[in-house]
Amino acid sequence: MTMRAWIMRRVLVAAGCLFAAMVSGNAQSAIQTPALYTRWTNYTPANGFPAGEVFCVTVDGGRVWAGTTHGLVMLEDGLVKKVFTQKDGLAGRAVMSVAVDPENGDVWVGTFGGLSRYSGGKFTNYTNMTSGLANDLVYGVAVQGQNVWVATGAGVNRLDTRTGSWSIFNETNAPFAEPWGYGISVSKEKIYFAVWGGGVLSYDLAKQTWKPFNDPDGEMELVLYRNQGLIHNIVSSVSYNESTKTFWASTYFGLSGYDGRNWHNYLTKDSGLASNFINAVHSRGDEVWASTQGGLSELDTRTNTWVSYRRDAKTGHGEILVTHADGSKERIATQTSVAHTYILNTDFQGDDIWVATAQGLSHGMRAVNKEHGK
Amino acid sequence: MKTRSGVAIMLLTVCGALAACANAQMSGAQSSTVQPFGPSSVTEGKAMPYANMPPAAAPYAGFKKPYQEWYVEPNSLEYDGAARSEPDGDLATLTAINLGFLGPLDAENEDSLYGIPMLHGAQLAVDDGNSNGGYKGKPFALKVHDDLPLWGASSMAIVDMRFQDQAWAMIGSVDSSSTHIELRATLKLEMPIMDTATNDPTVTETAIPWLMHNFPDDRQQGYALADYIFLQRKLKRIGILQVNNRYGRAGKEVFADTARRIGHQPVVEVWYAASTKDFSSQLHTLEASRIDGLVIWGNAAQAGLVLKQMRSLGMQEPVFGSSRICYPDVVKIAGAAAEGLVTVSATDPTRSDPRWQTFRQRYMDRFHAEPDAYAAYAYDGTTMLMAAINKAGLNRGRIMDALREYEMKGYVGVGGNAYFDYTLNNIAPVTFAEIRDGKFVYWPEQRTDWKVTRAAYTR
Repeated sequence: MTMRAWIMRRVLVAAGCLFAAMVSGNAQSAIQTPALYTRWTNYTPANGFPAGEVFCVTVDGGRVWAGTTHGLVMLEDGLVKKVFTQKDGLAGRAVMSVAVDPENGDVWVGTFGGLSRYSGGKFTNYTNMTSGLANDLVYGVAVQGQNVWVATGAGVNRLDTRTGSWSIFNETNAPFAEPWGYGISVSKEKIYFAVWGGGVLSYDLAKQTWKPFNDPDGEMELVLYRNQGLIHNIVSSVSYNESTKTFWASTYFGLSGYDGRNWHNYLTKDSGLASNFINAVHSRGDEVWASTQGGLSELDTRTNTWVSYRRDAKTGHGEILVTHADGSKERIATQTSVAHTYILNTDFQGDDIWVATAQGLSHGMRAVNKEHGK
Repeated sequence: MKTRSGVAIMLLTVCGALAACANAQMSGAQSSTVQPFGPSSVTEGKAMPYANMPPAAAPYAGFKKPYQEWYVEPNSLEYDGAARSEPDGDLATLTAINLGFLGPLDAENEDSLYGIPMLHGAQLAVDDGNSNGGYKGKPFALKVHDDLPLWGASSMAIVDMRFQDQAWAMIGSVDSSSTHIELRATLKLEMPIMDTATNDPTVTETAIPWLMHNFPDDRQQGYALADYIFLQRKLKRIGILQVNNRYGRAGKEVFADTARRIGHQPVVEVWYAASTKDFSSQLHTLEASRIDGLVIWGNAAQAGLVLKQMRSLGMQEPVFGSSRICYPDVVKIAGAAAEGLVTVSATDPTRSDPRWQTFRQRYMDRFHAEPDAYAAYAYDGTTMLMAAINKAGLNRGRIMDALREYEMKGYVGVGGNAYFDYTLNNIAPVTFAEIRDGKFVYWPEQRTDWKVTRAAYTR
């Protein structure tokens, strides 16, 4: 074989390998696309839902609770059953968070006006003036055993529902860089807090000790390294995933995940994240759902695939953007879509997703996607 | 771009003129590289570093280019929410166009020293707005809320403004904690905030698009003081004395960080409680540290006591201070001991431009007191807010859009020449003041050509 023929053969073999890899890559990424939500039902004033922003959504078996600018909405069997307002006894008009006690069905409601407990058809309210509540701006609430944890504008509260005693945690007795509580996530062993300007704090229930997770570069205006640690200290919510032993933190400057060993950080420039401004995060199984101001984004951690959902404001149709692990993108149009592209919160009812948006509540159902194998 | 260039040229011209006037007044050593200071895009024609920070003052400047830099590009404040599509307010049902006001007003609150002039400035602006027809014939009205000193006590103010007062926007506050709490709440409530009084630079570093800030912040003050002290006065061993509250703690940070990054780590930092009258303990610590200059981040009354006690102990080191020290109280309390004190000032009240002089006279006529920077910036901020409402109508999303049109643009007001960056923060040059013969003498900030040194390798 001459030298020229040898070189030509090597070039052809290399080109063949490259082509095969490309084909294989495309085929693989197609297979690895997560199941998509292609069917959406929206709740707006047209079907009895209050106008304006929906701040939170919580699934409670067959019920769905939604916190809005105009009160607390209860849905049953896909219908708006009741809108609770201050006239019904709710502590505040704007509802930021809802948690349901699995033991007794009590509904705990965080409002801009205090904390409400809905039990036996009645509201009991807790405010800064009438209880040990640290502040009347209540952003987050969660139930852990007999305790209710509350994230407020001036620290975090723990209410022991058996004894009625309140504890307060802030910069005076815990490592809060700032006392502005925002979100809470409960695991079997720890409680995680999203602290606005103060990163993430975890509280070990057995040891009763605190551990802070802060932005290691220490600066508001930059991210020094991609996976440096928590991406930014302005944390809007946190979600602990028991199955992957990872907590995810949403910030207004990207998404952070910590699996106990490594950090996994994402910005729009290095992923399929719809926006760096993230209002909330929810993780379950292999999925991480980011409620961003530019759409709803899902990260499938098993395949490193991103799926983002937006609404075309002109047509009302949906747009799904799939970003595969190799960076390739697919754009899929859907007839229906989320109610608005600005997303504030999510929760799940089996495989269905409920989405709080800036203009209504959305209920998403998965497509049976034969092409994608799910 | 034409508009931007026009504003830039105008700003450069103004800065140059102010600097020329000031050269005659400047005291102390001046480097030959000291230049009139304006946003660098004006002179360099390229992207501006965040907050127009000197290259050597940037974190990790000599070490590594960050993976991501925020606030340096258009649309740094994203907003895809639904506020713009909310129904407009029904003018026919309104008797007034309400603006919320949050400021420290109770005489027991030491910050009322700033809050009361702030309210007066806003009231004067509203009067002027109404003299010009209000909004489509309906008068503007302030819905005033007192900002209480207890943490979180005023947190419900913005909720009340939004739902009870039916305010279209709000002004406030002085206290950075209160402002942060309002800021967090407004992300949910979607009501524009014009912050005319806090020094805290982090209020515009949250990516929340609902706040505009026109008061010269501690970041600009810190850069200016570091330049003046280390590069122009050539001092090396600086001590810091700060009041132990959020203003003192957060305020001195940029100065201390900048000092360290340019190779002049402060040799000692001590604090005092806001109620302190006897500073002997702090002064002995400072003296033992062999400082050659002292920076105070606190209020005028306490700075006056510090100066008096310092000089009586024989400590003759030059003293520098933050803008809250630039008040007559410091001279009243310290007397001759205040001579030579150099502070940053948020405005120059001795300037002769007709806009300021007219405002000053009208303010004195109505409130029987000299207006200060808090009055001036409240007047400017409220005026901008009313103009935004007149332009956008009764829709909070569009009002914020109208305010965002100031990104990378200037505003000439009674407070001076403001220039807003992509975060809607005023990054215009600050003013210096020195006490000479018992009076403040003012000059505009000058800035040296800072070089990145090895000291800038770390944070």
